[in-house]
Amino acid sequence: MTDPAEGAELMERPAAAWPSDEIAGLYEQHQRAIYYLALRFLGDSQRAEDATHDVFLKAFRKLDQFRGESSARTWLYRIAINHCQNLQQSWHHRHVLPNSDDAIWEMSAAKTDSPLRVLETKELGQRIQQTLDRLSEEYRLLLLLVADEELSYEQIGVLVGQSTDAVRGKLHRARKTFAALFEQSA
Amino acid sequence: MKQRSKLSQEQTQNIEHDALQKTRLQAGQEFATADELLRFDAAQTAVPPHLAERLKESMANAGPPPRRSWWHRLLGH
Repeated sequence: MTDPAEGAELMERPAAAWPSDEIAGLYEQHQRAIYYLALRFLGDSQRAEDATHDVFLKAFRKLDQFRGESSARTWLYRIAINHCQNLQQSWHHRHVLPNSDDAIWEMSAAKTDSPLRVLETKELGQRIQQTLDRLSEEYRLLLLLVADEELSYEQIGVLVGQSTDAVRGKLHRARKTFAALFEQSA
Repeated sequence: MKQRSKLSQEQTQNIEHDALQKTRLQAGQEFATADELLRFDAAQTAVPPHLAERLKESMANAGPPPRRSWWHRLLGH
């Protein structure tokens, strides 16, 4: 049986504080970027929340290993990408159409230079998620990273382990494929 | 007269339909690239507000943050 005094104490417990200003600053500055990557990569808000929590907790535990050779953003992205990829592999939640990217791109390459028109913003998130889910993991990740204006092509290349030229080429195809699939989802 | 009245009704419906379409287009947006669309989406996406509290509690349970080794501090890393 729970002691009433203990219950009252729990209810009145003050909000926890950040263990250091450094981690507080990291969270404040990069939470949105990491959460968005996790959300659209994993396709589920609860999993994204858990992943973001785990990424910052890992960062906190490894803070002494962060040498400042890369930006804090890319360091956090590296942790987030590894974490999300591990989750995807272990949970078998892939929604990839095998080898579909190139076929879709070839099929609709001529049509995809037109702008992506959005009439209803209400369901926009769902449409974007459905489109990303149909991309390969590689294209999805590249598009999510390039959407972050703080990252250069060079930094994206380092994060995905590819040359800058390879990133440029793949992004070109990823954008086209995304546009074709997005159009289909209307 | 009846015919005329029917046409008028169709015309009215067309006008209403056009107006509705126009409203939707005005309310809608265009994005030149997937990057732009995803940036817009990211800006609209809010991090769950309770996540910070959850994280603070987990960090408090994890103990103090590890200290940097003396050579890291010496080298300014």
